[in-house]
Amino acid sequence: MSNVAKRQTSGLDKVLRVALYVCLLGMATVYLAPFIVMLLTSLKDVEEIRSGTLLSLPSSLDFSAWSKAWNGACTGSQCEGMAPYFFNSFKIVIPAVAISTLLGALNGYVISHWKFKGSDLFFAALLVGCFIPFQVILLPMARTLGWLGIANTTTGLVMVHVVYGVAFTTLFFRNFYQSIPVELVKAARLDGAGFFTIFYRIILPVSTPIIVVTVIWQFTQIWNDFLFGVAFSGFDTQPVTVALNNLVNTSFGGKEYNVDMAAAIIAALPTLLVYVLAGKYFVRGLTAGAVKG
Amino acid sequence: MASLVIENVKKRYGETEILKGINISIEPGEFLILVGPSGCGKSTLMNSIAGLEDVSEGRILIGDKDVTFSSPKDRDIAMVFQSYALYPNMTVAANISFGLEMRKVPKEEREAEVQRVADMLQIGHLLKRKPAQLSGGQRQRVAMGRALARRPKMYLFDEPLSNLDAKLRVEMRTEIKKLHQKLGTTIVYVTHDQIEAMTLADRIAVMKDGEVQQLGTPQEIYDNPTNLFVAGFMGSPAMNFVPAKVVEQNGAYALELQATKPTVLPFPDQESLKSYLGKEVLLGLRPEMITEPQPHKEGANFVVKADIDVEVTEPMGADTMVLTRISGAEVNCRSNPAYPAKAGETIPMMFDTSKAVAFDPANGQRIDG
Amino acid sequence: MNKIAAKAGSGATQAGRPARLSLADWMPKIVMAPTAVAAIVCIYGYMIWTAVLSFTNSRMLPTYKFVGFDQYERLFMNDRWMVALSNLGVFGGLFILICLFLGVMLAIFLDQKIRAEGAIRTIYLYPMAISFIVTGTAWKWLLNPTNGIEKMMIEFGFEDFRFNWLSDPDMVVYCLVIAAVWQASGFVMALFLAGLRGVDGEMIKAAQLDGASTFTTYRRIILPSLKPVFFSALVILSHIAIKSFDLVAALTNGGPGYSSDLPANFMYAHAFTRSQIGLGAASAMVMLGCVLAILIPYLYSELRGERHE
Ligand SMILES: Nc1ncnc2c1ncn2[C@@H]1O[C@H](COP(=O)(O)OP(=O)(O)OP(=O)(O)O)[C@@H](O)[C@H]1O
Ligand SMILES: [Mg+2]
Repeated sequence: MSNVAKRQTSGLDKVLRVALYVCLLGMATVYLAPFIVMLLTSLKDVEEIRSGTLLSLPSSLDFSAWSKAWNGACTGSQCEGMAPYFFNSFKIVIPAVAISTLLGALNGYVISHWKFKGSDLFFAALLVGCFIPFQVILLPMARTLGWLGIANTTTGLVMVHVVYGVAFTTLFFRNFYQSIPVELVKAARLDGAGFFTIFYRIILPVSTPIIVVTVIWQFTQIWNDFLFGVAFSGFDTQPVTVALNNLVNTSFGGKEYNVDMAAAIIAALPTLLVYVLAGKYFVRGLTAGAVKG
Repeated sequence: MASLVIENVKKRYGETEILKGINISIEPGEFLILVGPSGCGKSTLMNSIAGLEDVSEGRILIGDKDVTFSSPKDRDIAMVFQSYALYPNMTVAANISFGLEMRKVPKEEREAEVQRVADMLQIGHLLKRKPAQLSGGQRQRVAMGRALARRPKMYLFDEPLSNLDAKLRVEMRTEIKKLHQKLGTTIVYVTHDQIEAMTLADRIAVMKDGEVQQLGTPQEIYDNPTNLFVAGFMGSPAMNFVPAKVVEQNGAYALELQATKPTVLPFPDQESLKSYLGKEVLLGLRPEMITEPQPHKEGANFVVKADIDVEVTEPMGADTMVLTRISGAEVNCRSNPAYPAKAGETIPMMFDTSKAVAFDPANGQRIDG
Repeated sequence: MNKIAAKAGSGATQAGRPARLSLADWMPKIVMAPTAVAAIVCIYGYMIWTAVLSFTNSRMLPTYKFVGFDQYERLFMNDRWMVALSNLGVFGGLFILICLFLGVMLAIFLDQKIRAEGAIRTIYLYPMAISFIVTGTAWKWLLNPTNGIEKMMIEFGFEDFRFNWLSDPDMVVYCLVIAAVWQASGFVMALFLAGLRGVDGEMIKAAQLDGASTFTTYRRIILPSLKPVFFSALVILSHIAIKSFDLVAALTNGGPGYSSDLPANFMYAHAFTRSQIGLGAASAMVMLGCVLAILIPYLYSELRGERHE
């Protein structure tokens, strides 16, 4: 049937298809352009930036902006570049992702396979955590961190990210575990396995896909966070986003756009890398979070 | 091997009562079949026996020990599910030995046990595969193997064969029967399949809306159903229910109905009809009791010949079902395919009421003296 | 042989003990307890706490001297807040509309059995992987009034081209829209593409057999069946818009003046740098109100939908 249609309208069809490709590729250029400009700018020296345009090519590859952005540029009063903050981010992200993923897996397991009175209500209540504007918890959280003596520490930031990330991780795991038949858990209980044995031996081995999705989602969320970072971190525990913002807004003398751009790329690199390496799971996480979150 | 006593078990989900006071008691080694329409609470009852769900009221005893509050693993029960519920990440061997491993049976014994079960079920060549690599019938066997390996006190089967095709189902049915005869373990078995129920059961419990309607041997259930529901539920095609008037004929109570002409049929249980004289009852007569005239039965007690108007005929191979209308009710008769019954014709048939039953139309209960 | 049976039965010694008392039966609740406590305290408790603060005259430190609705009155008398609110209206409205439009369009285009679909999809979506701070930094440079796009266009020969929105208080909010659309429209595309792929193929075939053109098929059959995706996208985008904080911080820092402030930035500035905790709390509560106004109808329809199934 479609063959017939094609034969009749093949002339018009061809024109339309060319237009379609032009449109799609044009948009692709628009999406790609900012990154290309960033990259080009980061490789120029200040003089070239002043004389050239956004898209003019650097005369020679000059990586000095990169090395300055990495360990020399001033972020506020410090002038150590992005490096220390880059590692700060990892110190926050790794434990926060690990803990929130583990908690989410356990919660999802309970909500789908060990329902008790109130577990569904609990889940609904938790979902609200995915939606609230965090401004509404900033002030009390700041006080609480102060009382606990972990204000301005990495521990404090990890805690905050876990508390507000666990709603999402629970949602992910719950939706996934919902599709595991309840009979599987029943059979294991009759076989004599307990709560954790079933989790570890039966549920976890089939959870790899959702673990990957959750870890990627949490990693990008926490790495890219700015609000909690700026509100709850100290000078020496700032995450990379806060440092980048400071670097860009610190202006002694002339603006060094090449350094800004290099620093921005450095800050974006880990999540971009994850996206390139595991894009499929990244998209799945985004859409999974979107379906109900 | 253990006895099972279910005492007044009730189960509620919020407001709705799913099990409304179940009483069943079975002997060690008995094979009990649960049947009933979808949603009547069979799986719920099985789960309650296994301890996978708490009961709201009542007691459950296994081998004289009250297990109402014990956890599933302490009840020493194995269950085979309709979906098989094989652990997808484990090999067949690991699936079978998991229960033993959880009970800390040493490795050598586990392996020996896996081998024994595999031999018994002829799945030795599958031991290293994962469930995803098995056919439906093979999965079913593995699920049985997993239950057998632990040698529990009791087996629960929740529609274990319903996902198999007709031929495999017959094969597995025979194997389950053999297994039960060999092991002699107590079994509770849910099925929707009439033939499975009749062939496997020592006793059958017919459930409806969370209540046991009747508990008895297959023959009792078939011949003496306690009410219209049980009578209509067991047997295929179902028992015929014909409105009939209780009359007195030759000093005996009999039932008068309207076939082609008014017909009076004798009734075996005289005592029961006494108080219904002159009233309407529902005569219950199985299709195989209305046949073509058979010379050797001619003149026997409770056998009457009468004309019927054939509405439809349905050849089924071994028999031909003849549909007619008697006293306004649709009636199935089972005749020999050679008997020339044609739609629209009037032909004589032979009514054998030696096993007929009568029901009170007011409450649907069987009328007995 | 009997040994196995004996072993298997050994667990039964505990039988008869009410299940409620054993640790194993409490395990699910114990496991869930930390999250439950955290949720109750850190979501609901803190919401209430912030609500309480918004009725006090707290400045540098929280005090519990209640002043009724004074802070809300001050808030809506505050010019900067009103600018932030109207910015949110403009920014949110445009951001959502353009994202939805671009997202749907690109998804439909990509759904036409395009060669290299994977690569193109990857390009559309990569901005979603990076932080709004990076996005802001990049666009701050691109939109730079003297050295950015303006200069490039002049070099290309458009001598009179002027593009100085970033320094124009009336236009700066549109810079936010551009950057945010760049970042999020690919995500909307991904949502719709997933939705399109989930549409029942037989339904489309039936429509084509009925003689519907491709355009009609999309307009009358496919897009209407993507209503839930529209709804989800709408909720997520408005959520992003209301929470937007980092983009403003990196791209305009609220300037020129406070012409590009959004409520989130207003809240942060007053609560954390200007020692106006009461006012900041009040603004946070207004933001929460906005989110709930969108969320409650959404959740309501979701839950109803589930019950209908
Ligand atoms: N967790 C639950 N909450 C509320 N109602 C339930 C729950 N589980 C089962 N039910 C209800 O209990 C009734 C009995 O369910 P059950 O699964 O025991 O039926 P069944 O006899 O096994 O049916 P089938 O033959 O279809 O397997 C059904 O009406 C079902 O809707
Ligand atoms: Mg069932």
